[in-house]
Amino acid sequence: MNGFLSYVNGSSPLHKLHPLTKMVMSFALCASCFLSGNHVLILCVIGLNLCLFASAGGIARAVSTLLSFVKFSAVLFVLQLFFIKDGTPIFTLPLGITLTYEGVMFSLLFVLRFLASTMPLALMLSVTPVGDISNVLVRNLRVPYRYAFVITTAARFIPLFSEEMSGIMEAQTARGVEFDTRNFIKKIRLLIPLCVPLLISSVRRIENSAISAELRGFNLRTRLSGYKRYSFGANDATILIACAALVAVSASGIWP
Amino acid sequence: MIRITGLSFQYGGGEKNALSDIDLEINNGDFLGIIGSSGAGKSTLTYAMNGLAPHHFRGDFRGEVTVNGLDTRQNQPEELARHVGSVFQDIDSQMLASVVEDEILFGLENFGIPHDEIERRMNDALESTGISELRSRTVASLSGGQKQKAAIAAIVALRPSIMVLDEPTGELDPQSSRMVFEILKKLNEEHGVTIVLVEQKIMLLCEFARRLAVMDGGKLILCGPVKDVLDSADRLEDAGVNIPRVATLARRLRERELYHGDIPLDIGRAKIMVEGILSDAAL
Amino acid sequence: MLRFDRVSFSYRTETATISDVSFEIGEGEFVALLGENGAGKSTLLRLCNGLLRPTSGRVSVRGYDTATTKTSAIARFTGFLFQNPDRQICQNTVYGEIMFGLEYILPDESERRRRTDETLALFSLDGLGDPFGLSRGERQQIALAAILARKPVLLLLDEPTTGLDYRECMTVMEIVSNLNAEGTTVFMISHDMEVVADFARRVLVLSGGRLIGDGPVRRIMKDPGVLREASLLPAQIPALAMTLGDSFANIFTIDEMADTVGQRALARQTSVGKTS
Repeated sequence: MNGFLSYVNGSSPLHKLHPLTKMVMSFALCASCFLSGNHVLILCVIGLNLCLFASAGGIARAVSTLLSFVKFSAVLFVLQLFFIKDGTPIFTLPLGITLTYEGVMFSLLFVLRFLASTMPLALMLSVTPVGDISNVLVRNLRVPYRYAFVITTAARFIPLFSEEMSGIMEAQTARGVEFDTRNFIKKIRLLIPLCVPLLISSVRRIENSAISAELRGFNLRTRLSGYKRYSFGANDATILIACAALVAVSASGIWP
Repeated sequence: MIRITGLSFQYGGGEKNALSDIDLEINNGDFLGIIGSSGAGKSTLTYAMNGLAPHHFRGDFRGEVTVNGLDTRQNQPEELARHVGSVFQDIDSQMLASVVEDEILFGLENFGIPHDEIERRMNDALESTGISELRSRTVASLSGGQKQKAAIAAIVALRPSIMVLDEPTGELDPQSSRMVFEILKKLNEEHGVTIVLVEQKIMLLCEFARRLAVMDGGKLILCGPVKDVLDSADRLEDAGVNIPRVATLARRLRERELYHGDIPLDIGRAKIMVEGILSDAAL
Repeated sequence: MLRFDRVSFSYRTETATISDVSFEIGEGEFVALLGENGAGKSTLLRLCNGLLRPTSGRVSVRGYDTATTKTSAIARFTGFLFQNPDRQICQNTVYGEIMFGLEYILPDESERRRRTDETLALFSLDGLGDPFGLSRGERQQIALAAILARKPVLLLLDEPTTGLDYRECMTVMEIVSNLNAEGTTVFMISHDMEVVADFARRVLVLSGGRLIGDGPVRRIMKDPGVLREASLLPAQIPALAMTLGDSFANIFTIDEMADTVGQRALARQTSVGKTS
């Protein structure tokens, strides 16, 4: 999870796109897997996401993030499976649990969508500095700066919090709290008291950030304060057309 | 310059004064170190200088603080920030962007610096803090010392005449701490920036600061040129502040009537002291 | 007590953080680990109690191999104090915090209560106090108290005095020092060379993941080669002694320096007196 959801410096074609294009692309990739119910198409979208990560030089990170999500998805898949009882039975387990073809296909679709829809956001954040995101939100989309700042600050804080949480778990393990237990329920129960230090350090950090922003003129900022100018180029046009095509294909049901 | 007269401050909901009856004048071009034990009111004193008290931290504010002639009660922190730049101890949470360049842009954009001037200011700030090569690096990939330099650069770009720093080296190792001090010295000597620095690292303060202010229990108990303050080592000890080992050595040698000169502030001057004693003895 | 046998460690993607480190720390020693940021100090300390496990080589604590023992089992007889006490403290009262740490080693509640009262008295802490309302130094003392209540035989300290003022720093170090005098082994990372000079008896020096120095503090802190390679600045008095030349080579403390200067000044006066 190291560096998940944070910007990675680079100069790939993807990095150089207009921030708005990257946001639209992320949204289109996400939307396509909800518009389409086709497993193959969604798998293709996952593959496309990985290709885009690779083109931005972040494939190793993408794969490790994907793998950690796959574990979680496997649990989701099994849970889903047991809840769907209608359809053509393919398998009957003891205790009267029946697996149906429809159940398997639906559960599979569910986890594929889950995987495919988390990746575009991670992709966008890894190739776009949060400053750029807030600049276009404010200038092009006319979002009030306050809201844009909250969104981008949240994106910036996630890696800090995950680092803090692993530090807290380390400190507790070192004094004998058995996080190395295999019992999942027990592990969750052990995690609950740790929310206190996490909450306290988060509140402290947010407070410090607010002070720092205030003293650097946060309240004076206007829609036109942004210094950087972003231009649309041929690449942006190509990507936007491709996105439109992807969404059209997904929504049209050419592949049901 | 900063002029503080009869300042007392109590945080809203607090039970006792965080600051009591402080008088302090900081002239242009000064390099003032503030030291004292935790809870002595050092941070609160910096909040009084950048206007966070009473605007951000509300409470009972008595007395007067003026920054370049502006009364801090009548001016909002962001107005005062054009004169006083602030740097804090908590490195990660004072950074607001994911790339160094954006970090520096943030303040420049907000304060409406003309866009044709931004590039020059950016370069000057990066250069005077020695981090030109870090311009397009992500903040997350920097070491603690580099992050603190970037935070200082973001303030330097705004060209305040005064900088107030609250334990900027608190989370740094000795080498990085020294580098931060070197940058502050350069800003002070070459650009005439007034430096007000809260710091626990007494040895570095003694080497770099011109004046020392010692706080204890919300009061300013000593303030003056560094070597004069070190002469009152007993009062420093009562305030929970240690003095550098070479200064303690000088005091021991004075007690033995071997030495009568100034308290040495660093190893170079301590060497001169010891060699002086031995050659005097030979005369 | 603690033994590193040709230990190397690397994080998944990076090059070796620790390479081929071997040393042994005996019972009752007080050892400081020095090196500049990024030298691998924190990694090495985390290898000591199984928070990290070596990529190659062997680490054993009290005979237990960390590669095959659960970290929580090693934690029964080791204490680890982190630089930031806020990562440890997770209870609303000082009393609760100390009780929480004892849960895994004292199954009997009345015994836990007795041990907690004992610890509160030893550290003169207020059990009902709210740890989050206290200063950083006070929180560090509470974190330390909660660890020491568990009576570890090996105490690992990761920059225990960073962010503390002088008085708090001395309080924490004196508690550790007294414990060491009673037999607890201490292994400590510190950037504060004055603290190291005052309290440690032996130092290990890391540079770029390799162990480049191991010996008595008085020798290592005056070894210009090791100091330069690890970019370390020695404590002030040893540094002064080094600049004064070979005739001051044995001086390490203020008292020794003051005495030596006094004696030599006197000797010169008398010898000058005789010749004139």
